[in-house]
Amino acid sequence: MPTPRIVALGGHEFRSRPSELAVVRHLLELSGAERPRVCLLPTASGDPQEGITSFHAVLEGFGCEASHISLFRLEREWVDLREHLLAQDLIYVAGGSMLNLIAIWRAHGLDRVLSEAWRSGVLLAGQSAGAMCWFELGITASAGRPRVAAGLGLLPGSLSVHYGRDPQRRAALLEEVAGGLPGGYALDDGAGLLFEGPRPVEAFSGTRGARVVRIEHDGGRAVECELHPVPLRQEIQAVDPAIAERRALRRMHAGAR
Amino acid sequence: MESGNPLLDDYVLSLTGVRRPRVCFLGTASGDADDYVVRFYREFAGARAEASHLSLFKRRRGVTDVRRHLLEQDLIYVGGGSLVSLLGVWRGHGIDSILRDAWEAGIVLCGLSAGALCWFSHALTAYYAAPDVVGALAFLPWSFTAHYNSEPARREEYHRLLDRGLPSGYAADDGAALHFVGRGLHRVVSSRPDVAGYALRRGPHGVIEDRLEAQYLGDAASPALVAA
Repeated sequence: MPTPRIVALGGHEFRSRPSELAVVRHLLELSGAERPRVCLLPTASGDPQEGITSFHAVLEGFGCEASHISLFRLEREWVDLREHLLAQDLIYVAGGSMLNLIAIWRAHGLDRVLSEAWRSGVLLAGQSAGAMCWFELGITASAGRPRVAAGLGLLPGSLSVHYGRDPQRRAALLEEVAGGLPGGYALDDGAGLLFEGPRPVEAFSGTRGARVVRIEHDGGRAVECELHPVPLRQEIQAVDPAIAERRALRRMHAGAR
Repeated sequence: MESGNPLLDDYVLSLTGVRRPRVCFLGTASGDADDYVVRFYREFAGARAEASHLSLFKRRRGVTDVRRHLLEQDLIYVGGGSLVSLLGVWRGHGIDSILRDAWEAGIVLCGLSAGALCWFSHALTAYYAAPDVVGALAFLPWSFTAHYNSEPARREEYHRLLDRGLPSGYAADDGAALHFVGRGLHRVVSSRPDVAGYALRRGPHGVIEDRLEAQYLGDAASPALVAA
């Protein structure tokens, strides 16, 4: 039996910054495939084209088989959801509105498919709403003020994201946990946590100083305990020859003026 | 929001009975796609209407009291896209029950494609893989399908489903609009001269499809309105 695995990311973007690329590289390594099949689910933000394009642009540099599923354009871009998702090595869920994400997935029956993919060993990953969705509960700002929202419950407890960047969310989480919400984890942008089954087995960070915090309930209070994430190796990307050429041209034109 | 053809938009605006109606756009079915929201403002802003939109993907910005905002409108305009996603999001935010209250309060509800299908009890969505009947909001207790003339497979499919017990209902060509008052069809209008609506039901010897001639809104000299 394969081990069900999930990677929760506190905040991550498909950009060419070394810190963001380090996280992508780590996810691909965790997928264990030589040429990983990676599918993006950008549901939580309504499948915006920019997000889909930057995902493909970044993954192009990594030698994978990248695809995306747009639940808003299924009528034009039809795929068999279950068949496609179960054939992946890695499913990456982008951020946005956690409330909308869960509601749309349930309407399309994706909650069941993703739980099946998880159990069959497909690595599930996601950032922000795409990370909180796997837990019983998340602290979402989808409806304005931060509040508790139910996720799919593949992982026990609660998750909060953008921890250091969003003091309102932190306050909401601590208040909720003090008031009886199950404890869990809080992640800064750039930090990640790998779960095998329900157990956290690795905390990592692509960004220096990004924290992974365990939130525990202790006698009517919420207590924060920082874990020590492993810093991810950052490689200096060789500059794409096309970009180098464009830069050289720009310098030349600037010189000619 | 047909490009370059304001006839149907003018029609729904006229139904409000207000000179400069408050109109709120719900682009949920497109995932609140920015370009769609911008198109709405281009069509409805200015002297024509007091336009606003409600994004359910970016609720941190924009309208805070959703219920109050929707109930203050004269017209609520629902854009097209994915019906299943639309219903999921609306139900997640409780928009379905607010819209029912809005409808019962006399606010004009309108929409195209997924934004038209959503009001019915049995919506035939576009056909990818197995054709699907989606249980929508059911303000109108009929089956319905859109794009009847532009996607010919729909007619065959609709007939087959009616034959198997799907409740009676309606279809509309692109450019045709069915105007319901309460649960009953009141009028069929169109932004193009050659399109129509259709009423379908199962008869003793198979499915009966009646073509409902539409009143073309672009022709001022058009004969009497065709009521259904």
